[in-house]
Amino acid sequence: MSAEGGAAVRERPAHIRLRHVTKRFGETLAVDDVSLDVAEGSFTTLLGPSGCGKTTTLRMVAGFHRPDAGDIFLRDVRVTDIPPHRRNTAMVFQEYALFPHMSVAENVGYGLRMRRVPDREARRRVAQVLELVGLSGQEQKFPHQLSGGQQQRVALARALIVEPEVLLLDEPLSNLDAKLRVRVRTEIRQLQQRLGKTTLYVTHDQEEALAISDQIAVMHNGRILQVGSPAEIYFHPANRFVADFVGLANFIEGEVVDAHHVHVNGLVVTVARPITREGRVTLVVRPEMVRLLPAGAAGQPALRGRIAATAFLGSLTRYWVTTDGSEWVVDVPAPGHETLHGEVALLLPSERIHVLTE
Amino acid sequence: MSPLAVLRWGEVRRQAADPGLALTFLGAAGVLVLFVLYPAFRVLLYPSLHDYLAIPQSLRWMQAAHNSLVMMVISTLSATFVGLLFAFATTRPDIPGRRFFRNIAMLPLFAPPFMVAFAYILMFGRLGLITHTLLGMTANIFGWHGLWMVQTVAFFPLAMLIITGVLEAANPSLEHAARNLGADEWSVLRTITLALARPGIAGAMLVVAISVLADFGNAVVIAGGFPLLATEAWFRMEGMGDLKGAALVVAMLLVPTVALFLLERYWVSRRAYTTITGRGSRIERPPTPPLLKGLVVALCALVSVLILLVYFGVVAGAFTAVWGRDWSLTLSHWRLAQDRIWTLWTSVKIGAIAGVMTGVVGVVVAFLTSRSLPLRNFLDFLAVLPGALPGVFVGVGFVLAFNATPLGGTLWILATALAFWHLPMGYQAAAARLKQIERSIEEAAVNLGASGLRVLWDVYVPLLFRALVEAFAVSFIRAVTNVSIVIFLISPGQVVATFVILNMIQNNIWGAAGALTTMLLLLTFASIGLTWLLVGRVVRTTAVAG
Repeated sequence: MSAEGGAAVRERPAHIRLRHVTKRFGETLAVDDVSLDVAEGSFTTLLGPSGCGKTTTLRMVAGFHRPDAGDIFLRDVRVTDIPPHRRNTAMVFQEYALFPHMSVAENVGYGLRMRRVPDREARRRVAQVLELVGLSGQEQKFPHQLSGGQQQRVALARALIVEPEVLLLDEPLSNLDAKLRVRVRTEIRQLQQRLGKTTLYVTHDQEEALAISDQIAVMHNGRILQVGSPAEIYFHPANRFVADFVGLANFIEGEVVDAHHVHVNGLVVTVARPITREGRVTLVVRPEMVRLLPAGAAGQPALRGRIAATAFLGSLTRYWVTTDGSEWVVDVPAPGHETLHGEVALLLPSERIHVLTE
Repeated sequence: MSPLAVLRWGEVRRQAADPGLALTFLGAAGVLVLFVLYPAFRVLLYPSLHDYLAIPQSLRWMQAAHNSLVMMVISTLSATFVGLLFAFATTRPDIPGRRFFRNIAMLPLFAPPFMVAFAYILMFGRLGLITHTLLGMTANIFGWHGLWMVQTVAFFPLAMLIITGVLEAANPSLEHAARNLGADEWSVLRTITLALARPGIAGAMLVVAISVLADFGNAVVIAGGFPLLATEAWFRMEGMGDLKGAALVVAMLLVPTVALFLLERYWVSRRAYTTITGRGSRIERPPTPPLLKGLVVALCALVSVLILLVYFGVVAGAFTAVWGRDWSLTLSHWRLAQDRIWTLWTSVKIGAIAGVMTGVVGVVVAFLTSRSLPLRNFLDFLAVLPGALPGVFVGVGFVLAFNATPLGGTLWILATALAFWHLPMGYQAAAARLKQIERSIEEAAVNLGASGLRVLWDVYVPLLFRALVEAFAVSFIRAVTNVSIVIFLISPGQVVATFVILNMIQNNIWGAAGALTTMLLLLTFASIGLTWLLVGRVVRTTAVAG
């Protein structure tokens, strides 16, 4: 859903710029020399495990933390020293932070009240934005009378109504159940594209990040490890951590033969992108890239393996295959009733194999 | 028969198969009816309907009722305001001296109920250290204005504890969300922080209002000729032997206290905004606006001085030759106090008996109401009801109910009255602790063959040890410092220290009164220290903000 047009969006001028931003909490280095450009109108996701510094980075953009070093710019304005209530960086909080003592209308209208918008206009805009998020008619309810999904929309409406310069979202879906999460993330993405709002989004869910983003920055231990489109992150991870964190991966050790060939377990594998390194390298092969055939049916050079375990997962069947010297996870999509047993051959399509450069 | 009724009946039969538990239940219910409900009904039924209908004709009673309500309103407002101020100061990390303010504010909670008034006579009275000696004024502190100041200082800590609890429970993300939407610090304070604390402030006002209405100790010392319901009951009985009048007055007092109590328990306490403590507490809060900060610190410092003066005055009084005239140091008051030290021993005996009773009854009743027994809500109601009863009401109730029985004139009538008046504290502490204990621990014991009572003894008593010790300590401390109940139940052979002190204050024997009060304070703080050693935390002598 996001790959098309993503490249164009990412080439627009930067709207949020972080330059060598560092933040410590006592002894812990929460964010370590982070630089990032978020293009005008793009949807950029900070992705990483808990404690990686993604939320702290987001909060520095909102102004809740002041960086210990480095600077943050919105367009060309340096905002590092501007207090949060003077930045127009509306945020959707993970636990929504809806004001429990205010109705839906009062919650949504709060930002307008703080901006001294006249009552009549405020009422009109509240009605407008509630319609936008599909909550018309719920104005007088209180947060505790709403479902989790509705609360989430109120939080979103409350952020959107102030027409923020950039929209910040801190794991906004983590309190929803799995089905709703998928639906709401689609809605958020559609809304963001319709409004063309520059958005910075934080999540630890790699699937969510891949589905929703124009650009992903993978973070670990306070650092950004890789910035790229979802496809780049998935197919060409910069290092082992990124490859492992985003999706499932087989890490296969091999010996470089030349720029396009690697020696793996007695088989020479062809690689599409030229290899710039020599000696031992690690190949990343996603489980769904491998083709699995009954032994002897390959008709071309293939790795020989033996199926150790099988799991039927509905839309695919997952096999754990032991080859000479390594363990593989292989996903075979849309399986029929037959499953493979015993000796098998593994085919590795050259255009999909990625060689780690670190 | 409805399925529900069948279910209930089945439950009764199931429980009846455990005769020990059933007997305990009946015993506990009987004891509560006898010592909580029965004295209350004795009071309410003692005057005839005709007597009740004649109340509006009695100018003095209407005056007392009016005064009590006025004091309730003004003292509640001022105490809640000061409480809010302290709660705000102690929950802001950037207020200088916030820990100091918090500790100081706890001091009035440990003072005997007449002590603030006594100290302010020493400080601001006709011969007051500040008014007379330092400022050379002729001041009259007796009356409504003196009582107002005293009740504000005495009861604001209750408000502080409740409001602090609410402010601390507020999710910090809400404030951050407000800032994120453009609110400056004053707006955050007005629209979020204080708005969220509204139910807590309302709850604090109700609790303070009950305390003000029922305040006997301070009123009897400092109200002078200003008639109030709480003191009127005692004047009726002591001066005129008018039991019926006393019963009528405390019955009048009961109406507003019970109403406030029910309002607090069944309305305000349920309206608290449940806030989920989420992550995000790591976000540093922006500094408090300097103007607000200065104002809060200045006012808190002023009140802190007023509190320190309470303790300073009483202790200094015990070592001063003639207060207001001869400021030389002396130990002579301690010799007079020593003559009366046996009354302190009586107080300790009564306090110990009351403490054991409160602890045991509290734990047993809490255990019973945690079972799915029929009538458990009734039992729960009886165990918290004393919290709504003014001390003078309980005092008159026990006089009417038990003075003519063998209990009358013994230590036991005093200890029993105090024990059951303090029951809500012991009961609620134990009930709260029980809720934290996993039901599966008990199920494991039952699964291995333990009976209902065996479960209480083997599983809960060891786990409830802390609640038991705390219930004992709270009941003990409040018993040895009580005046509102003991004043009605005292007999010549069983004089307690507080009664003697009160008499000394009223007869201007301030030095010895200061010495005995100092000893009472030492006893109180020793008990708090001992409890702290046993259970590892400072026990609270109030039922609020558990």
